Formats: sequence, structure tokens, C-alpha cells
Amino acid sequence: MSSVTVKIPTPLRALTSGQSEVKIEGATVREVLQKMDSQFRGFGDRVLDEGKTVKRFINVFVNEDNIRDRKELETELKNGDTISILPSIAGGN
Amino acid sequence: MIKIPASLLRQIYDHTEESYPYECCGLMIGTTDAEKNHTVHAFRRCKNLNKDRARDRYDMDPLDMLRVEREFQNGPWDIIGIYHSHPDHPSRASQTDTDRGWPDYSYVIISVQNGTVAGAQSWVLNENEKKFYEEPLVSVPEEGESK
Repeated sequence: MSSVTVKIPTPLRALTSGQSEVKIEGATVREVLQKMDSQFRGFGDRVLDEGKTVKRFINVFVNEDNIRDRKELETELKNGDTISILPSIAGGN
Repeated sequence: MIKIPASLLRQIYDHTEESYPYECCGLMIGTTDAEKNHTVHAFRRCKNLNKDRARDRYDMDPLDMLRVEREFQNGPWDIIGIYHSHPDHPSRASQTDTDRGWPDYSYVIISVQNGTVAGAQSWVLNENEKKFYEEPLVSVPEEGESK
């Protein structure tokens, strides 16, 4: 079990009572996000697709690595890791 | 409302004109007050990864966003909004902008006509209605600058 910091982007802070970061424990990204969902109602629905994968328009980084380039939700965590949840920004005329 | 120092707004405009006829994008960093008014203190250019439709679409490089988040993670400023250009189109939020919009950010859209900025508007998404509403965009003088 590793102690990690989860960074919350502005659009999701309504779910975390305004907190921009949360300290939490977990061995994998999945475990951490599931705990976040238990702690903050509705968090999982905004970040995960039926609890199986990260939603298409959300990026999750462990330190500098996008988890899509690693083991997705099964990406393992070390003590002191930082998980950044970032909205995918796009648009156009 | 979003307040942007005039010199920063000019630099953002420079980015949109340099990128013409392609869309460009970037992040605005600053503060948010209790009424959710934003004040911009800095901005960072980001890459548009959309190469197939760069004239009318943008996909911000997520690594750029990560870099900015880390740069400002110790506060007191935060990512408060996104700017992007609409080459040869009005500065209104489009359906594509709405489909991909996020709440609580200011979306500043700059219209660039024939390579020159023609106007700018700022928009905030009402997530329940899935609709962007315009907010006042105020260019403020620099500290010490006469009004």
C-alpha cells in the first residue's frame, strides 16, 4: 500500500468539497480511484467508464506518465507518487 | 467576469495571429474570487495536436497541461481557463466547444480574420444545460499604468 497525492482539476473540485489535492493510499490507480469514489460521491462516475477504464476525455498521469502508456488502471504506485487527473481540452469553430 | 491585464491579452492575441490560419490554444493561470470571477496573472502557450483539422479544431497537448499544472502546483495561482482561436470565424462558442467544454473554466475565444484579431469573448459552460454563456471580458491596465 502506497501513500500518494491525487491532484484534482478545477472542474472536478465541486465533487471534492473544493479540495485541489487529496492524500490517499492504494497499490494501483484503480484502487486509489475507487477509494476516491467512496470518499467523494459521484467522483467515479466523472472519471471512470462503468468502473472499467478511464473516460475518454480524462487523462490520468502518474508523475509524468500517462497511464494509457502504462498499465492503465492497473498501473502500480509507489510511496510519494503524484496522480494528476486532467480534463482533455479540445474544441474548435 | 474575467479580468486580463492588457499586456497579457496582447500577448495572447500575438499567439493567435502567429498561428493563423490554424487554431491555437493555451492555458490561463490566475485567481478566482468568491463570485467565481477570474483574474488572469499569467498564461502559457500549449500545442494543438490536431493536425488533420487544425484550421477549425484544437486538441490541447495533455503533456502541456500537466507541465502547467506542475509549474503552478504550489500556488497561489491555478489554471482558471483556456483560450483558443477561431480563424476566420466569430468568437462565439461553437457546438464543438460546447461538446468538449468543462465547467468552472473561462473559455476565451479569439476571432482572427485574415491574420488579425477581430474580437474576443469569454464563455463559461453551464454543465446542466450543456450551454455556454458569455461572461464579461475586461482588459485591465497594468499596475502603475494610468487608466
